Amino acid sequence: MQIWFRDRQAIFWTFFLPLVLISVFGLLDFGSFRTVDIGIVDKAENEESRQLIADIRLMDAFNISDPISESKEREALSDGERSLVLIIEPGFGEVDSPTRRRVSVIYNQGQPQESATGQSIIQRILDDITFAENDVPDRYVIDAEPVDSRNLRFIDFLMPGVVAMSIMQMGLFSVAFSFVQLKSKGILRRLQATPVLPASFIFAQVFTRLVVSILQTLVLVGLAVVAFDVRLEGNLVSMLVLALIGGGVFVSMGFAVSGFARTEDVAAPIANAIALPLMFLSGVFFPRDAMPEPLRAVADYLPLSFLADALRSLAVDGQTIWSQWDNVLGLVVWLAVTFVIAIRLFRWE
Amino acid sequence: MTAQLNANNTNIIQVNDLRKSYGSLKAVDGVSFSVGVGEVFGILGPNGAGKTTTVEILEGMRAPDGGTATVNGIDVHKDPRGVKQVIGIQLQSSAFFDRLNLSEILDVMASIYKKQVDSLALLANVELADRSKAMFRDLSGGQKQRFSVASTLVNDPTLLFLDEPTTGLDPQARRHMWELIKQFKTEGRTVLLTTHYMEEAAELCDRVAIMDHGKIVAMDRPAELVSDLINRGFRKERIETQANLEDVFLDITGRALQN
Repeated sequence: MQIWFRDRQAIFWTFFLPLVLISVFGLLDFGSFRTVDIGIVDKAENEESRQLIADIRLMDAFNISDPISESKEREALSDGERSLVLIIEPGFGEVDSPTRRRVSVIYNQGQPQESATGQSIIQRILDDITFAENDVPDRYVIDAEPVDSRNLRFIDFLMPGVVAMSIMQMGLFSVAFSFVQLKSKGILRRLQATPVLPASFIFAQVFTRLVVSILQTLVLVGLAVVAFDVRLEGNLVSMLVLALIGGGVFVSMGFAVSGFARTEDVAAPIANAIALPLMFLSGVFFPRDAMPEPLRAVADYLPLSFLADALRSLAVDGQTIWSQWDNVLGLVVWLAVTFVIAIRLFRWE
Repeated sequence: MTAQLNANNTNIIQVNDLRKSYGSLKAVDGVSFSVGVGEVFGILGPNGAGKTTTVEILEGMRAPDGGTATVNGIDVHKDPRGVKQVIGIQLQSSAFFDRLNLSEILDVMASIYKKQVDSLALLANVELADRSKAMFRDLSGGQKQRFSVASTLVNDPTLLFLDEPTTGLDPQARRHMWELIKQFKTEGRTVLLTTHYMEEAAELCDRVAIMDHGKIVAMDRPAELVSDLINRGFRKERIETQANLEDVFLDITGRALQN
């Protein structure tokens, strides 16, 4: 373990790189350049309401969703998928109706800029209608109601993905490299000259890596929470359990690579050939939804996908580890497979 | 080949008709010998004669194809870990963990044997006490070799295997290694060493076995082997010199260890 911590390069790649990645992406925060997403619920369904909706649709500033029921719109709002929802009450625009000149807006408190922009634009449209009617004193009013929504920012999506990716990097690269190095330098042979049990030596190696993967998870989650204000919904202990299982999968993969490769020069391309596709196919940085269907079908079964999905569900959606049994099962199957391959390929010399 | 000289002593190594082949190559082809407690026993021979393979079988690092070998009464084939527990092994080329300093490496090695060691005393024994915080890769060739010998002592072994311990060393370092080996003998340890250097074998070994093509072709005290040869009528062309180039080198650079 001490040996590992003395390896400054390993520490760099294990802790520093993911931290930089998450910081860069976090600071860029793609989420802040979002459009004003609005939903419209037309309960009046008369000429005036249709006119108002048509006017709103003319505005380029809005990203208007297709009409769905009010409860669905409210749900979307609280999930952070809407900046605001405009509700046109029955009786809008009808003479003598108390809601003649009233609309309701429920808006997302977490997106103050977007919802304020949306409200002021709607207000202008309503004012234009007022002017057109030459009825200035009797202005249209917006009843605004804030809603506390859970707004998914890019960093919320990114954090669990980067955690999963770092666990993979650490397991795969640190084991593959250090074992091939121990082998090529003859250190394994020197150990073989002592009565050490191979199993206990390997256990020590694996144990060290798993401890590191736990630390890694803690550091990354810690940074995300402290510096980027990510709200951790799920149970941290469950996340660490996932980190352990995931760590096991990738440590086994690392052993398999080190068993196969004789020198570092061989180990590096093999480890990269495994890591890079996993990194981009497993939805670490961007959701897999964007992928073409056949590719997605494969990507869904990659070990990093299982790990990233499970971590994300825990961290962001506040799911329990039990509800993620399918992802956990996927990981365990991968663990069994990679473990058997690792044992088959393992060699002392 | 003369009769066993140490037949009445207790033997710490007993080898009978040992065989090991790699494909069609018979690396070890029916080797038998025994080594008594406290002896310094040398195995000599050209490269590829089977020295290292023989030693590795005795160390429990390779399984023999045939024959038996016991070390300290333990069958090396049946209980290689039991053998490794009581012996110290110096490999031809040793490497140790990077990023641990010398005394830390010794502590780790000792922990494998579940023992506590005074790593400083071990290092002082091979004159490396002042380098205890150094990394193995920063040592000079002679220092590496001395450290490698120190690392074989962590379990206080009764039997030491030294595989070409002075290959690649300068004359001072070689002489220092010889002193160490003599010291092991006075401590009552048994030493089995392989070497290419005849003057080293003559200086250190109580008995030597000369191997060629996987077989032992001669085994006796160095002095006996020499007088046998002379008795067979061999005469070397004599050049009367009172010193050789090594003496010149040592006279100029001193006998003390330089690194």
